[in-house]
Amino acid sequence: MKVSCSKENLTEGINMVQKAVSSKSTLPILEGILIEANQELKLTGNDLELGIECKVPADIQENGSIVINSKIFGDIVRRLPDAEVFIEVTGSNMVIIECENSHFEIKGIPSSGFPALPEIKKENAFVVNQEILRNMIKQTLFAVSMDENRPILTGSLMECKDKKLTFVSIDGFRMALRNYEVDNEAENLKVVIPGKTLNEILKILQPVKDEVSIYSTNNQILFDMNNCKVVSRLLEGEYLNYNGIIPQDYEIKIKVNTKELLAGIERASLVTVDEKRYPVKFNIANDKMVITSNTDIGAVREELKIDMDGGKMDIGFNPRYFIDALKVIEEEQINIFLTSNVGPCTIRPVDKDRFAYMVLPVRTRNE
Amino acid sequence: MFLHILNYVFTEHTFGIIILLQGEKMMEDRIIFHIDANSAFLSWSAVNALQHGAPVDFREVPSIVGGNQATRHGIVLAKSIPAKKYGIQTGEPIIQARQKCPSLLVIPPEYYVYMRCNAAMCDIVKDFSDRIQVFSIDEVFVDYTGMEKILGDAQAVAHQIKDRIKNELGFTVSVGISSNKLLAKMASDLKKPDAVTTLYRDEIEEKMWVLPVRDLYMVGAATEKKLAKMGIYSIGDLANSEVEFLKDKLMSWGEVIWCFANGIEDSPVKPGGAIPYVKGVGNSCTIHFDVEDRETAHKVLLSLVETVGMRLRQGAFCAKLVQVSVKTSELKTYSHQRKFYVPTDCTNAIFEEACRLFDEVWKGEPIRHLGVRVSELCGNDFVQLSLLENNYEKQRQVDRAVDDIRIKFGSFSVFRAGFLHSRLSPLQGGIVEDFPAMTSIL
Repeated sequence: MKVSCSKENLTEGINMVQKAVSSKSTLPILEGILIEANQELKLTGNDLELGIECKVPADIQENGSIVINSKIFGDIVRRLPDAEVFIEVTGSNMVIIECENSHFEIKGIPSSGFPALPEIKKENAFVVNQEILRNMIKQTLFAVSMDENRPILTGSLMECKDKKLTFVSIDGFRMALRNYEVDNEAENLKVVIPGKTLNEILKILQPVKDEVSIYSTNNQILFDMNNCKVVSRLLEGEYLNYNGIIPQDYEIKIKVNTKELLAGIERASLVTVDEKRYPVKFNIANDKMVITSNTDIGAVREELKIDMDGGKMDIGFNPRYFIDALKVIEEEQINIFLTSNVGPCTIRPVDKDRFAYMVLPVRTRNE
Repeated sequence: MFLHILNYVFTEHTFGIIILLQGEKMMEDRIIFHIDANSAFLSWSAVNALQHGAPVDFREVPSIVGGNQATRHGIVLAKSIPAKKYGIQTGEPIIQARQKCPSLLVIPPEYYVYMRCNAAMCDIVKDFSDRIQVFSIDEVFVDYTGMEKILGDAQAVAHQIKDRIKNELGFTVSVGISSNKLLAKMASDLKKPDAVTTLYRDEIEEKMWVLPVRDLYMVGAATEKKLAKMGIYSIGDLANSEVEFLKDKLMSWGEVIWCFANGIEDSPVKPGGAIPYVKGVGNSCTIHFDVEDRETAHKVLLSLVETVGMRLRQGAFCAKLVQVSVKTSELKTYSHQRKFYVPTDCTNAIFEEACRLFDEVWKGEPIRHLGVRVSELCGNDFVQLSLLENNYEKQRQVDRAVDDIRIKFGSFSVFRAGFLHSRLSPLQGGIVEDFPAMTSIL
């Protein structure tokens, strides 16, 4: 193999595929990046859960392939001067990396043992623009569960039905749901994508109008962007019936400015040192919402003007759950529906139903 | 001597010293009270009886608390001063006590009275400091440090506490004052009843070292015997022994009691509730017949969980882990446990999980003994609710109402209908065991 490419393009490619390389593995080959030259230069990382393949613009003088340790390769290339990089593999699997006055010879591993990315038939593509997919992932990913006891909740549900694309994450204490209308005819797409995969895809997707094609099988999903392919295992099992857990009735409905509420809760949470234990309390009455928190280090009181419909209520929440949701809402105004001080609370847009964020309250002793 | 101690503390207790320096004040500056109700069970029963119109004050006639009058078994738990004159000792069988004094009045234990008296005593103490630790049903530690600037001199306040309890509640207490919990506890023992005693570090030699070693906290009959063989008879003898010698003879225990004899002890006054010093709450029973069907086993589990749930709630805890243990008629034991998604204190939630665990683990053999234990406790002041758990809110309200009824009218005043004609007790064990047992950890 003998190729040359620009340092900038190579670094970009390495950064992408490194997300799928395990840093510690029992198989040294899995800690490596597969470099393939076959008319075009292709880099691949695969930790058997997640695989990323990336094309790098290059000048191919001789076809071939090799696996090289991801960390060493990445560290070398990142520190090279901004110039053309030459990569050559000798007969004894030595990888020669040259750039201006630098010359490296690194041991490689024959590529025959590298696990190939699973083959996914490119049928029934679901096509969506990158920016939308990126936003939907970002706006729901935070509510994915970290608890391995319920594996299915460690991923987000991606569902397409009746020309509506939906992302849902539930960690047991809260739910994040986003909708987007698409004119795609992919039928009955319903998959649960691991949170880790989404986290990496989020970093690869760009806020641009370029399209990404999504293909899925029973247990694998492929995201195909122009020069980059991401293949991931899917989570198996039945996802929660999220529609069933969103309350239809409410006791109190309030309308509030998103930014003001976010700022108020953020300030109130400053005294909740150990955020797991101390809730912030909302006292809602007479077109006013009073946010308080009372902890070991002190107390805080915030007052907010709201439009409301219904009686009054005192309710406590983990501030983190509200902040996470409010941060990803772009709308200026939101509606909040409260059921009871021990029942779920739902944040919705003022018009349409593009999102729903549900948070369960914290019960305090006196209730 | 003092220098020697300091040196010792620095070398051997480096960890303790680090905590000590991180605290706001040096431990030596603390003011700790130990308040001990005098012959608690007896005087509390007496006070309760007087309030309910009893013609005699139990404290003024030969009387004991203990056992069961009807079945005539059991031991003496507490005795009145007149009973003491007959040579009756705490811990001896009631039959023996009756032989010493045929006219002896035997009062049955009344745990709910004791709980109320303990609560009333704590309420008064809380007027003087917010840092109190209920150490056992009749003892409470108070950290008075810093309060002297607001309420005044420690000794005067100790007298106030003692007098208020006497006037408002009708029983007497002994108060010990010192700079740590151990010395405060020793101090309250020095003079009884109805007294205030100080035992600061500079008084150890004069007031504590002259006492027989048996009087030292955590030294019992067995240790006393061993110490006597080494020629150690008084607390002073123990304090002035070589610690390495004691460690050699008594292992780590020797070091502990040597520290105690020298008044070295630096544990903080730990409030209950939010910080669980209780690690778990368990309940188990040997059933008076072999259980062979699932339904009966579930009923036994329910009777166990009823008490476990109530103890949890009384301690203001929620539990994260529940464990069921089974002992078969052939004395084989096995257990099974699982975590809750959210901590709970609801009887039904624990019961349902206990039944699931039991069903998963039971192999169908006859059961002799069943146990339920909950652990990984946390405070119940704030509990994050979950979408994935059933909603137990209504059930929790029922729990609270049932608890209130049971505390006021007795354990069996209200119980589940399933236990009618079932040969099983609807509730196993008492609630009083909430009080932490006295251990070497103060």
